[in-house]
Amino acid sequence: MSAPSSTTIEMADPIDEAEALRRLRATDDPSAQYYAAWWLGRHRSQHPDTLPLLLAAMRQRRARQLGDGVEENAVARNATRAVGKLGPSASEAIPVLLELLDDPDYGLREAAARSLGELKATVALPALVARLRSGPNVAGARASDSANLVEPCEALLEAIGDLGSSDEEVIGVLESFLAHERPVVQCSACRSLLQLTQEPRWGERLKTLLLHPQLQVRRAALMDLGATGWRPATQAIAATLAENSLKLIALRGLVESAPSDGLDEEIFDVMDGLL
Amino acid sequence: MVPDDMNSQTSVEQRIANVQSADSAEALLSAVEHLAAAKHPSATACLLEILGFNNPGAAVAAVDGLIAIGEPAVEPILASLGTNNYGARAWSVRALAGIADPRGLEVLERALATDIGPSVRRAAASGLGRLDLRSLPDEQASGLVERCLQALLLACGDGEWIVRYAVVVGLEGLALQQAERISDLSVEALRHALAGLAAGSDPLTPVVVQRRSALALHRIDHSAGPHG
Repeated sequence: MSAPSSTTIEMADPIDEAEALRRLRATDDPSAQYYAAWWLGRHRSQHPDTLPLLLAAMRQRRARQLGDGVEENAVARNATRAVGKLGPSASEAIPVLLELLDDPDYGLREAAARSLGELKATVALPALVARLRSGPNVAGARASDSANLVEPCEALLEAIGDLGSSDEEVIGVLESFLAHERPVVQCSACRSLLQLTQEPRWGERLKTLLLHPQLQVRRAALMDLGATGWRPATQAIAATLAENSLKLIALRGLVESAPSDGLDEEIFDVMDGLL
Repeated sequence: MVPDDMNSQTSVEQRIANVQSADSAEALLSAVEHLAAAKHPSATACLLEILGFNNPGAAVAAVDGLIAIGEPAVEPILASLGTNNYGARAWSVRALAGIADPRGLEVLERALATDIGPSVRRAAASGLGRLDLRSLPDEQASGLVERCLQALLLACGDGEWIVRYAVVVGLEGLALQQAERISDLSVEALRHALAGLAAGSDPLTPVVVQRRSALALHRIDHSAGPHG
């Protein structure tokens, strides 16, 4: 998983729900729409206009233009990310997300996969697995025209883990990506295998990746361990050479990803020490 | 490069010289770590200078060094705030929060209320919960505790989850460490704030903050303090 970027943008431009909806309607101003879509997801807006407007925005297509300040299909991508944050009320978006999983735009496929995982759309499992079935040497090969892979492997692998249901074929596809040349893709595969099988060996392998010489890999392993809620990783997370901000996000993941009857005092004591 | 045989016997002057002659980010980090490990007040000026280098790894090590120096570093840090760049000021707030000297109170209050960096506000919030007031007369200490409490209560609605988390930790620290200095009315306000965060009535308060708030209330209820 990639490390999250800063959200301090919000402080620069505080708006309310009504203003976000107004901006998302402003189809002549992609920058305003882009921010509005992000805002509605972040605040998990449950306004009756939110989902229809996001669904419309998911269908907007626009090549990157000079002076935009935003990427190609940026509004659609952000709207696609936002519906994943809305929770059960966004189930209506699932058929559209399934369509986007086949979109020619890599970024849209990536956002759709993540949102399907977040919405626990088990209906998407066959489609997610299908995009990875060709394995690390085809789906996971480098794209000819960018730094991306052919498929958004990390997002697809992680979405499969989020869906919680697995059979032998699913596990086989996930395991094939343990051999991928990029350690961050291995991280994603380990994460989903740990989520689906609860076998400690996948957690141990992620702990090994916390010691990787590249910071980018250590960050990915942190986020992935957090997402699994695998509490035996608590002290290893604390000891990782990375920013405290990311360790805190990973530890938050341990607390939130798997329910616990206990007080989680060990995790909280570690978090308190990182503030 | 830092010589391999560097050990605890190396003089502070030599360690400062090694920082100044470091010719790569890696060498700088290593030299700053050695200087920080000296825990010597004469390292303060050099450590403060490193905070402005825009080198996060070295800055973390320098902050640790300033915290280890403790009380003697407080005046130099405060004096540097007016002249340094934003990055250096942010690291200075973290050092002051870690040193926990009451002279840092005003800086921590302002940082929690207005700093744009979540990591700075988070450090300020946790620092406000653990100022060491033992050197002060009772009346003055009670006044400072009240200021810490008000600053933390005002930040309960911060937009970043980690700042809210740190506010909870700060409030718990005040309730457990300064119980005898807090008025009944203020204890009531503190508990009310924690209960509100524990209930998660605001969608920006995630489960982790709710559960940390519940733990804080649990610890306060089971503490032996006069209000417990």
